[in-house]
Amino acid sequence: MLRYILRRLVGATITLVIVLSIVFVLLRQMPIEGYFENYDKLSPAVINARLESLGLNDPIAVQLKDFFASLLRGDLGTSARYRVGAPIGSIIAQKAPVSILLGLLSMALAMTLGIPLGAAMARSKGKFWDKFGTLFIVIINAVPSAVYYILIQMYATDLLKIPMLFERGNPVTWILPVFSMSLGNTAYYAMWLRRYMLDEMNKDYVKLARAKGVSTRKITMRHVFRNAFVPMIQYLPTSILYTVGGSIYIESLYSVPGMGGLLVDVIGRQDNPMVQAIVMLYCVIGVVGLLLGDLLMGVVDPRIKFAKKEGAR
Amino acid sequence: MGDVILSVKDLNLKFDLRGRVLHAIRGVSLDLYKGESLAIVGESGSGKSVFTKCFMGLNDLNGHIDSGEILYDGKDLAKITQEKDWLPIRGGEIAMVMQDPMTSLNPLKTIGAQIEEAILLHQKIDRHGAHAQMLSVLKDVGIDEPERRARQYPHEFSGGMRQRVVIAIAVACRPKILICDEPTTALDVTIQAQILSLIKELRDRLGLTCVYITHDLGVVANVADRIAVMYAGDIVEIGLCEEIFYDPRHPYTWALLSSLPQLGVRGQPLFSIKGTPPNLYTEIRGDAFAPRNPYALEIDFVERPPYFDVSPTHKARTWLLDPRAPKIDPPVNIRAIRAKGSANP
Repeated sequence: MLRYILRRLVGATITLVIVLSIVFVLLRQMPIEGYFENYDKLSPAVINARLESLGLNDPIAVQLKDFFASLLRGDLGTSARYRVGAPIGSIIAQKAPVSILLGLLSMALAMTLGIPLGAAMARSKGKFWDKFGTLFIVIINAVPSAVYYILIQMYATDLLKIPMLFERGNPVTWILPVFSMSLGNTAYYAMWLRRYMLDEMNKDYVKLARAKGVSTRKITMRHVFRNAFVPMIQYLPTSILYTVGGSIYIESLYSVPGMGGLLVDVIGRQDNPMVQAIVMLYCVIGVVGLLLGDLLMGVVDPRIKFAKKEGAR
Repeated sequence: MGDVILSVKDLNLKFDLRGRVLHAIRGVSLDLYKGESLAIVGESGSGKSVFTKCFMGLNDLNGHIDSGEILYDGKDLAKITQEKDWLPIRGGEIAMVMQDPMTSLNPLKTIGAQIEEAILLHQKIDRHGAHAQMLSVLKDVGIDEPERRARQYPHEFSGGMRQRVVIAIAVACRPKILICDEPTTALDVTIQAQILSLIKELRDRLGLTCVYITHDLGVVANVADRIAVMYAGDIVEIGLCEEIFYDPRHPYTWALLSSLPQLGVRGQPLFSIKGTPPNLYTEIRGDAFAPRNPYALEIDFVERPPYFDVSPTHKARTWLLDPRAPKIDPPVNIRAIRAKGSANP
């Protein structure tokens, strides 16, 4: 088990290095005007001095080496433009909690809505709940999320008589961002749970359970649901990434002072160190999510073993 | 023969399939005697599985009993429509061993838990008692070290061992009738005999009445007291094991026995029954086997034959047994078996 985790962590580190290298190199291809507020009015000497001080005149390989070296020291660097000179670590520490909380809330909401919906769809295949759920899933998947995010913001705020923008201290304003963010995952969970439950319902062990005298209700709860959940777990990492993706847009929509809005902001301002740091963070979330999904699968399914086989059979 | 434990009277089962009606069981009557072991044989689609599922209400929802009775313990099982009325019967009174042990167990539950689940459902007993009973059942079906094995998951068992577990689940609640739906089809030949003798042993010890569903006549010869031959949703011939093997009367039974490959015979083409079973979507006129039957009489195409008694225990649904029917000799190989049968009865 421990060896497995270690092996996965090494793999995750390699993934991180590759992703960061790509991001780093791509950001360096951007026009240098973005580094200056009044590029046109500056003399070439001043510009050059500035680039020199940012280390942008070195060959790209050297820049990359310097970047990783400082990263190893735990130094994320300082913000170049967003809040000039401020250490990135502290900026993120300030912004991250709101995002994490919103993300977790939305995932919890997606589970509490999506899982019962998926189960209800599987149980009433071809009937009302199944059709209702299918309609919902199709809409969520077919309509670009930006469209319904905006529609929700426009109409729901009116309907519920709540402020349009997010306020940290006002719980009512949390509802819509969390709800909007959960929609994609709700549909996602419902769709896959329905599919896997229907798969499981046709398996022989369900027939045997029926022949044992277990009621349909109990079969669904005790046998089918748990078996359907094993393949569901592989979607956990993806849904974490969905949440992160959704948060980027939703946070700017509701002007939530979190990481998502921050990323959009710093990309616009070409604050390269900030972009790198945030992308790295998201990458870590994704990789950890994948690892978590795999480990969780091992917990739920006894057939999956990470350690070497024990004992004699 | 002993008391009748389950009596089926003129059972008709129909399936609704997208607006079309499939007449799967066409007026079958059968008495099952306490303690006997009956084998139902027939080719795929003859309705043998569907027929026994009627006893437990296990047919799919689009199947319904159109008419007929299934009398068991003073109740007519054919009248049950609510799932909750079936639950005490399933596993408690009538239990089933399924065909494929590799997929019949829930992969995420320990086998101990799966057996206990059945015990807790049918017996007023606490967890402790269920656990003890589970261990003793495991021992009964020949699983060593039950304490350790009970904590293991199905994937840690071989196919034969899993079938033992499936049997343990079936007999855990001391049912009266055990339906074995092709219990050895998915197993290695070497394991088959073990499983069959286990079922036999349990039947003797627990006083079970067994119904085997199979198309393997070798299995039948091993385990059955009586044989019912099914064709197109009907029992065409039923009799004691020896009667069916050594003195078959229905042309379909002849054909079935002729299809059995003979070990040690070379150079002979294998026999197969010409044609395909009838389409059960359309109402069948006369004898269902007539179109494939080289011995068919004219009346076979017009009127369904009744049962003719061959002996008190043996009857067949064929016009050939009618006194007015022309005398027809069965095929050579059947005559040969018959001769063998009378030589060493």
